[in-house]
Amino acid sequence: MAETASLRDLSSPTAVGAEPALAAVKLSMGLGGLVLVLLMLLGLCMRLSQGGSLSMEPTLFYQVMTAHGAGMVGTAALTGAAIMWFFLARHVQLIGWVYWLMLILFLLGVVLILGAIFAGGFAGAWTFLYPLPAHSGGVWEPGAAAAFLAGLISIGVGFLLFYLETGRAIIARYGNLSRALGWPLLFRGSQEDVPPPTVVASAAVIVFNGIGIVVGAAVLVISLINLYAPGFAIAPLLGKNMTYFFGHVFINATIYMAVIAVYKIIPEYTGRPWKTSRVFAAAWSAILLMVLAVYPHHLLQDTVMPGWALAIGQVVSYAAGLPLIAVTAFSLLVSLNRSGIRWDLASALLVTGVFGWTAGTIPAIIDAIIVVNRVMHNTLWVPGHFHFYLLIGEMAMAFGFMAWLTRARATEGLSGTGYWGLLAYLGGGIGVSVTFLVGGAMSVPRRWAVHLPEWVVQDRVGSLFAVLSIIGALVLLGRFMTRFASPGRA
Amino acid sequence: MQPYVLVISLVLMVVVAAAFWWAARHSGIDASQAKVAGNVEGYRGGVFWGLVLVGLVVTLATLRPWPYDVSAAGDTVSVTATGSQWSWEIAPQEVPVGRPVVFKVTSNDVNHGFGVYDPDGTMLFQTQAMPGYVNQVSYTFTKPGKYRVFCMEYCGLVHHDMLDEINVK
Repeated sequence: MAETASLRDLSSPTAVGAEPALAAVKLSMGLGGLVLVLLMLLGLCMRLSQGGSLSMEPTLFYQVMTAHGAGMVGTAALTGAAIMWFFLARHVQLIGWVYWLMLILFLLGVVLILGAIFAGGFAGAWTFLYPLPAHSGGVWEPGAAAAFLAGLISIGVGFLLFYLETGRAIIARYGNLSRALGWPLLFRGSQEDVPPPTVVASAAVIVFNGIGIVVGAAVLVISLINLYAPGFAIAPLLGKNMTYFFGHVFINATIYMAVIAVYKIIPEYTGRPWKTSRVFAAAWSAILLMVLAVYPHHLLQDTVMPGWALAIGQVVSYAAGLPLIAVTAFSLLVSLNRSGIRWDLASALLVTGVFGWTAGTIPAIIDAIIVVNRVMHNTLWVPGHFHFYLLIGEMAMAFGFMAWLTRARATEGLSGTGYWGLLAYLGGGIGVSVTFLVGGAMSVPRRWAVHLPEWVVQDRVGSLFAVLSIIGALVLLGRFMTRFASPGRA
Repeated sequence: MQPYVLVISLVLMVVVAAAFWWAARHSGIDASQAKVAGNVEGYRGGVFWGLVLVGLVVTLATLRPWPYDVSAAGDTVSVTATGSQWSWEIAPQEVPVGRPVVFKVTSNDVNHGFGVYDPDGTMLFQTQAMPGYVNQVSYTFTKPGKYRVFCMEYCGLVHHDMLDEINVK
């Protein structure tokens, strides 16, 4: 195993099929699960505060909100990257220390961000919407905002290295990214050296998230300089476009990386291989383009944007759901049908993850209809849909990967604490998300520390579901942690 | 509109859940792949083209006429709204019932959101307030009353208290 190899060994690519940085992958999943639970507790505190059940000053609320948002995005990204790395290593030669470096830069970023928020008082939300970091209203100093932005830059640099290395390894194996995307099969019907789904998905994510991170780094650096040199400024509309382009691409990438676990693991349970077909290759090429093109749906309330861009935001939001529904979700359901699948915690969580992703995109797509967005944008409708596809989508896939990684050699089935943990996590997560959606339909604004009396009922119901989902997450995480030392993998 | 959006969303989500539930319930019979794969691509094509058709209908129905076409509003009243951390400057604050009102919204510092709520607490419309730009949105009030203005874009620590009113007579 690479993690026990010497430093000299780590400097060169490992053999295909080896597991470079396996320990770092496991560490990432453990950290991701642990941080997820802590951030869920912060989320619970916010809901309790909004519902009047917990006294929290607005200053602290917005700091907690900033930490919750940044942390959840980071957690989803780290667990998604770990999944992609783990399975991609079965097909290409990866250099293990690059993953370790990414992890170190990630942790450095976390320290900077936590320091910026809880020591420096930064509360500019994870979206750091330009020029807010430089306009604290006298609450936080430029140093705190700088630490937050530097933390995000550190994490971004780490992920960029991750994508450069995975891209390098894919090109070394397949010659170029177009082959890795399956274009010879897609456009010429060539069956020669068809890349597996893991490689196709990874290649697409490398392209779109690589671009996303570079744009994000640019707006972060601009914001950083602007803190100390206010004359160094850009148009706020450009800053907004850059921020939402980066944010949308980056958070989408987390799910597109995590779904690789479904492609790889579910076939082990059903006995039906998940292969790259022309439809699959077409879907991922479409995903690549649409993930890059869809971000204007975050700017539908900026009427100074070109009309064609806003129309693209609406149309592509809908179109982006087609590869998910007609390819990934449909193929999964077909794959399950009469398969004799072995249900255990891993397979159940992975299927749940695809369900959460698919169902969660429905309110997201509806919110991207301009006439709907006009009354739903920046209400609780928005956290409603992203909690659905992150909590029950991406993180369910991550928990499923953890369960598979630490599964027992003997068939376990779906029972006991794992079963009840899954039910609590799923039921609680759906409840949290639907309560947010109901809040959105009640026109409750998002990101408000203080709620009007008529809104608190949904806050309190949401808090109860949040408790249930946290219990479920604790059970799933506890199961992973207790098996961490002696996984006994099959 | 909001209750309809909620119901439609939840119904569609339940349909997705039912499809997964059905697949899970029918996953236990061990049969040959060939039998299952018989009409798969046909079904997939049906799902795909069905969704494309729905998408076309929804797109045409919701983008024509263009939702932000303020030039077609006719005999309008103009209102300027400027956001600053953490208050609104709205002029005039009194507008008539039944005439299209064009709101010209901007900001002095950071991004804000100009959201207008009816007396029952339902959001009617919103637009972003952005420094250096003027976003325009048109709305015709049909009932008199005091309409609340909330900030809809996080703008700092007093974001939730950035409130104002519009009096419709």
